[in-house]
Amino acid sequence: MDEANPANPPPNWIQQHTVYQELMRLEVGDSVQVHAAFLVYMDLTEVRKWKDVVGVSCPELQAVLLEGREKEGESVQMIYPLPSHRSIKHRELRSILDRGSPMLLCAVASDSTLVYQRLCDGFLTPDPPVDIQDQGRRQHRKRRLQT
Amino acid sequence: MDGDPAVMKVPRSSSVEVKEDMDTKSEKQATRDALIDISFCGSTPMLWKVSDMKKCRSEGVIGALVGSLARQPRQNVRLGRPLELRPEEALLLLEKEKSTAAVRLDTQDCEDEEAHSEAVRLYEAGLESSYQEQCVLALEDKKKTLNRVMNEKENGTEGSGSAVRERLEALDQSFSFPWSAMAVQLCTARSGFSHCPEERSFHSTDCPMPRDEHLNTRFSVYRDLRNKGYYLTSAGKFGGDFLVYPGDPLRFHAHYIALCVSLDEEMPVCDILAIARLGSNVKKTVLLCSPQEGDVVYSSLQWSSMV
Repeated sequence: MDEANPANPPPNWIQQHTVYQELMRLEVGDSVQVHAAFLVYMDLTEVRKWKDVVGVSCPELQAVLLEGREKEGESVQMIYPLPSHRSIKHRELRSILDRGSPMLLCAVASDSTLVYQRLCDGFLTPDPPVDIQDQGRRQHRKRRLQT
Repeated sequence: MDGDPAVMKVPRSSSVEVKEDMDTKSEKQATRDALIDISFCGSTPMLWKVSDMKKCRSEGVIGALVGSLARQPRQNVRLGRPLELRPEEALLLLEKEKSTAAVRLDTQDCEDEEAHSEAVRLYEAGLESSYQEQCVLALEDKKKTLNRVMNEKENGTEGSGSAVRERLEALDQSFSFPWSAMAVQLCTARSGFSHCPEERSFHSTDCPMPRDEHLNTRFSVYRDLRNKGYYLTSAGKFGGDFLVYPGDPLRFHAHYIALCVSLDEEMPVCDILAIARLGSNVKKTVLLCSPQEGDVVYSSLQWSSMV
C-alpha cells in the first residue's frame, strides 16, 4: 500500500498491490478473472484469516486458482474464483477436484459480493436434521426448528 | 419391503438349472410369466397390473401412481393405478430383460377418429341393451316385493292389502326405472390384458420412446445409481433430475438431488448457486452426475457455511 498516504490510498490501489501483481504475473486468466481472484484473496486473508494463501496457475482452465488453509495445520484447499455471469462445465470442476484436495467455488458478483460453495468428489451425505442451534446474533437470525 | 441396498439382486427364476427337455417349456413359460408387461400410451410407459407393480418394486424401480381411485376420485393425495414409469425406468426394466414392452392396440388407436367413434357407438349400444335388461329385471323385482307385502298383509288382519293390490296393478303403467339408477360395470383388472404369453411376445416391440442426448445421459446415471443400490424418483419439485434415496422411499428421506449433465455442458454459475442453496434448505446434497467413458463421475455440491 502507498505508505506516503495511508489515509488516502490512490484509486488504483488494487493494481499496485503486490499480490495482485503476482497473480497477474502468473499469466493465466483474463483481467476480470484475476480481479475476482484478488478480491477472494483479500476476503480469505483479511476477513477470514486464512493461512498460506497463494495464487496457483491453472493452464487447462486458463484461470488463477487460490490455495490456502483455513487454519494452521489443516489441509490445503483449492478455491476457484469465478465471475458470476460466467458458465462452467462439470469437466472443469472435475479437473480441479482430481487434484485431490477439497474445493471451493467462489462466485464473484459485479458488486464484489462473494458466494462460496463446497465441492467434493463422490457422495457426501448431507447433515442430518439438527436440534435448535443458536447462531449468535439472535435478534437477526431465525431459529432453525427441530425437524 | 427390503430396505437393504446391498442385497438387491432378485433371482430371475430360482429354477434355472439343467433340466430335462420336458421341463424347459414350462420353465420358459414361468420366466415369461415373470416378465413385467409395460403398456405404452403414446410414448409414456405404464403398468396396469398389481402383480407387475409388485415385481417392478422388487427390482427397485419406483415409478409414480397417476390414476384416480375409484372410490375417492376428487382428491390427488392418494392416487391409484396405473403406475407411470419414467423413460429411464422402462429402459432399465427392458435392458435387464425383466419385462416386455407391448403396444396396447386400443390405446394406440386414439389417433384414429373413425375407430374411436365406432368404439363409442358400440359402448353406448351396450349400455342401452344393459339398460333395457335392467328395466325388466327391476320391474319383476318390484312386483315380487309388492306381492310379498300383499300376502303378508292378507295373512294379517286388516284390508289394507287392497291399497297394495292397487299399487301392484298400476305398476305396469307407472313404473319407471331411471337411467341414473342403472348399474354400470367398469372393467378394471382384466379388460384387454388377458393376452397369453405368446400373444404378448407377438405384440412386443421396441419401445416407442424418443431417445435424445439428455435421456441417454439420464439413463446412464439412473442405471449406475440403481446398480449401487440407491432408489430413485423424480425430482421435479427441486429442479433436479432424480431424488436419490439410500433405501425404499417409503422408509427414508432422500439424501441427494441428482443433476444429470454431460461433462461439457455449460452451466451458468447462478444456476449452480440456486440449486446449492435449495439443497441446503431441504437438507439434501446436490450431486452433479456425468457419464464418462462407460462409468459415471459424481461431484457433491454443498452450500458452504461461510457467510
